[in-house]
Amino acid sequence: MILYLFSIVLLALIAPILLSYIKATKMVLLFKRPISVFQGYRNFAKLMHKETIISEETSAITTYAPFLVLSPLIVTMFFLPPIVHGGYYVSFVDAFTITGLISLSTFFLMLLGLDSASAFGGIGSSREAFISALVEPAMVLTLFSISLMAGNLGMGQAGVNLAEHFPKEHMASFLFAGISFFILLIAENGRIPIDNPETHLELTMVHEAMILDLSGVYLAIIETAASIKFVIFASLFASLFIPFGIEFSAPIAILIFIAKLFLIATLVAFLEVNTAKLRLFKIPNLLGLAIVFAFLSLITFYVLGA
Amino acid sequence: MFQFDTLSLIFVALIILATIPNLFYSSGYLPHIERKIHYQLHYFTFIFSMLGVVVSANALVFLFFWELMSLTSWQLILTEVKEKSTIKAARFYFLMTHFGFIFLLLFFLIVTDGNLDISFVDMKLIASHFAYPTMLFFFLLLGFLSKAGAVPLHVWLPYAHPEAPSPVSALMSGVMLKVAIYGMFRFLFDVLYPWPLEWGITILTLGALSSLVGVLYALSEHDIKALLANHSIENIGIILIGFGMGMIFDTLGFHILSTFSFIAALFHTFNHMSFKSLLFMSAGAVLHQTHTKNMEKYGGLIKAMPVTALTFLIAAISISALPPSNGFLSEWMIFQSMLSSSHIENISLKLSILFAIFALAMTGGLAIACFVKAYGITFLGLHRSTNAKYAHEVNFLMKSGMVLMAFIVISLMLFTPFYIEWFDKALIGLGHASVYAKIFPDGIWNMHSIGINGGIVSPLILLFSLLGITLLMMFSYKVFGVKTRIHNSWACGYKTSPKTQYTATGFAGPIRRFFNWLYKPNEHFIKQTIAGHETKFSSSHYKVHVKPLFEKVFYESVTNVINFISYWVYRLAHFEQLHYAAMIFNIMLMVLFSYRVFSNEFSWATFVLEFIVMMVSIKILLIGDKK
Repeated sequence: MILYLFSIVLLALIAPILLSYIKATKMVLLFKRPISVFQGYRNFAKLMHKETIISEETSAITTYAPFLVLSPLIVTMFFLPPIVHGGYYVSFVDAFTITGLISLSTFFLMLLGLDSASAFGGIGSSREAFISALVEPAMVLTLFSISLMAGNLGMGQAGVNLAEHFPKEHMASFLFAGISFFILLIAENGRIPIDNPETHLELTMVHEAMILDLSGVYLAIIETAASIKFVIFASLFASLFIPFGIEFSAPIAILIFIAKLFLIATLVAFLEVNTAKLRLFKIPNLLGLAIVFAFLSLITFYVLGA
Repeated sequence: MFQFDTLSLIFVALIILATIPNLFYSSGYLPHIERKIHYQLHYFTFIFSMLGVVVSANALVFLFFWELMSLTSWQLILTEVKEKSTIKAARFYFLMTHFGFIFLLLFFLIVTDGNLDISFVDMKLIASHFAYPTMLFFFLLLGFLSKAGAVPLHVWLPYAHPEAPSPVSALMSGVMLKVAIYGMFRFLFDVLYPWPLEWGITILTLGALSSLVGVLYALSEHDIKALLANHSIENIGIILIGFGMGMIFDTLGFHILSTFSFIAALFHTFNHMSFKSLLFMSAGAVLHQTHTKNMEKYGGLIKAMPVTALTFLIAAISISALPPSNGFLSEWMIFQSMLSSSHIENISLKLSILFAIFALAMTGGLAIACFVKAYGITFLGLHRSTNAKYAHEVNFLMKSGMVLMAFIVISLMLFTPFYIEWFDKALIGLGHASVYAKIFPDGIWNMHSIGINGGIVSPLILLFSLLGITLLMMFSYKVFGVKTRIHNSWACGYKTSPKTQYTATGFAGPIRRFFNWLYKPNEHFIKQTIAGHETKFSSSHYKVHVKPLFEKVFYESVTNVINFISYWVYRLAHFEQLHYAAMIFNIMLMVLFSYRVFSNEFSWATFVLEFIVMMVSIKILLIGDKK
């Protein structure tokens, strides 16, 4: 039980570091002087000291929605697969619930964008609605496929099963599902081919546009939500698609898990440096690819059993 | 004449649950209706007739109440005739509902052998001796699905529902469609029981198609009530997916999974009743204050109408299937039943169920987008018209109707185990295995899926943890004592105004553009350019209208063919005498020639010659000169 709570706190603490790490890696690759990996904490501390400025056009939604954006994600963190062997974990919550909780968070984020009566918020919400509508089917199919291989629809138990009996005989469908999930990881977290988290240019904004009107503590909450969302996806990817390391003793297992998270972050950083952002209407092609891979994975599993 | 088994009682409860809040709402709405007696008479007869349908025990009573239900709802659509489109919509509804009625009548005439007052059990005996059960199945489908609004018989919904007064739209969409689902349950179980596999697949396919088509057209809609009507198509589709899965599992011998799917379908029926009634009531309140159904004329109503906005939000979360709402729970059950399809051995069936999973997941994603649009454009931002600016909260009765309905939505979420136990009893009554003990094996906290290694969801724990964490954060925000300042929205140095906000059309823009091949929208774009510059203009006007593809393909092409035929019949009927003589001559010529062709040995040369003679004769005598 202590390990369970510890791992959740650890993931929450590591979340801002991961995002800063991606940014730092990108800066190194672009021959810039990198920011510190603790920049996320500094931003958080700075925002917590600021006053909150609320737009006069907004309503009760802006007052409550930031909390409702963060809380489903925090609840989701309790349902993630375990990172150490023998520790307590919620074994039964299935993929559909996790997807639903993430959608709940996105739902309130989109309402937040529309609340401030500025065109920027509308742009962001509209694009986010478009992208997340296409992400949903790929997500359900991919997680269905991996849970078939793991032999359990509950995500926590699936992670354990995969680590204990790696499905070597289903390698092909496993890889297809992995590719699909990686695309989803990028799409849901608004990383570069889908959305550029660093610019404030209306041509490219999705996530940033929705939160343009927030400041102070509210902005800190939303930024935390973004980093927690990344760590949720990264740890799902780490437990389901790189399923090893859990069999060691607790400290080593945790270190391996953190190393996996940083590996995923590095992958994302490399991808961000090497690709250009897609036009909004090219995004369905990428997400369509994710859907096709999810289907391929399931079809390979059913038909070939491979 | 009447029967009160558990299935009937469940639907009686559904009607009563939907009606009680509706009565409050309707009496609040009454002062704005001119033909009060006409409205009241038909309103109560409508409710009474729906109750009659679900408790009737023979075909005659069933058909009587069914027809009464159709006629009263048709009259209710005609309560407030202000525009010509209302009459057109009512006529369309009348036509569609009687199209369905004909097939129901045919079904009953066959399965009762013409003796319309025998019980359903006797009907089963006759139906089992009938040589073409699939024909009976299709009669049932056409009869009930034209009422329930599944593809391709869904076209009337977005026309008829918006035209009715709001309490009636809430009843029609929330309850009347469910009465058709009751019919499916009753007659497929009681009369046509051993189902071939193809029937289940047909219903699954129709359900998957309806859910996608409904939500896609809802997204392109700016009329708020038409948007909700399109969502009814979607939700009927979801119910049919559960129903179809149940039939498939039953045929393949997975009895427990089959019961689970049917319970999911029944549960979604209840949930759709609750949130769709609530949505129609809230939309009706908005419409009542702003006097327009056009979403582009709303905006900022959350400040003036907080109760309406809150109830709409609860219903929107529920219909978008977001946890921990009741809509999520039933959709979760339907998903779980589809995910259990991995036990099926038939590979092609297994693969095709994947596409239904895809359709349902896609529907979920698009429904979220659609309700962000409906809620955000209607209630958030700044008012977009004068009426929206001066709107205020509706009267007490209407408010209490909405709040009561919101309580029903919440109760469906809180008391899920109770409802599921009840649905389980109904299915035991229909001869299915009981699964309640398997869904809730260890108390009411965890809801299990039936399939091997299925998932588990704990609605109450989810709800409490979400509430707990949110309240904790809000409490610490208060304790923290953050300074708050109120200021303008930042809009790059410009002032925000109602016109700079996103519109509903704009919000759905990316999705509409992606599905352009399906929508094929009529776009009107007029702009006054300045000095010939393409990018500088003084005023511009953009209008987009999407006409459903099904309407274009099925309905308009049928109209066109009939028009074409009737044009030629008209031409024939108005010939002059000389032309008739010429026609008779030509027909005689054709008879002679064809006799020769058939009786003698065939030769191409004479055939071509005769053909040319025929053509020349037709040209000269019948068609004549072009004037």
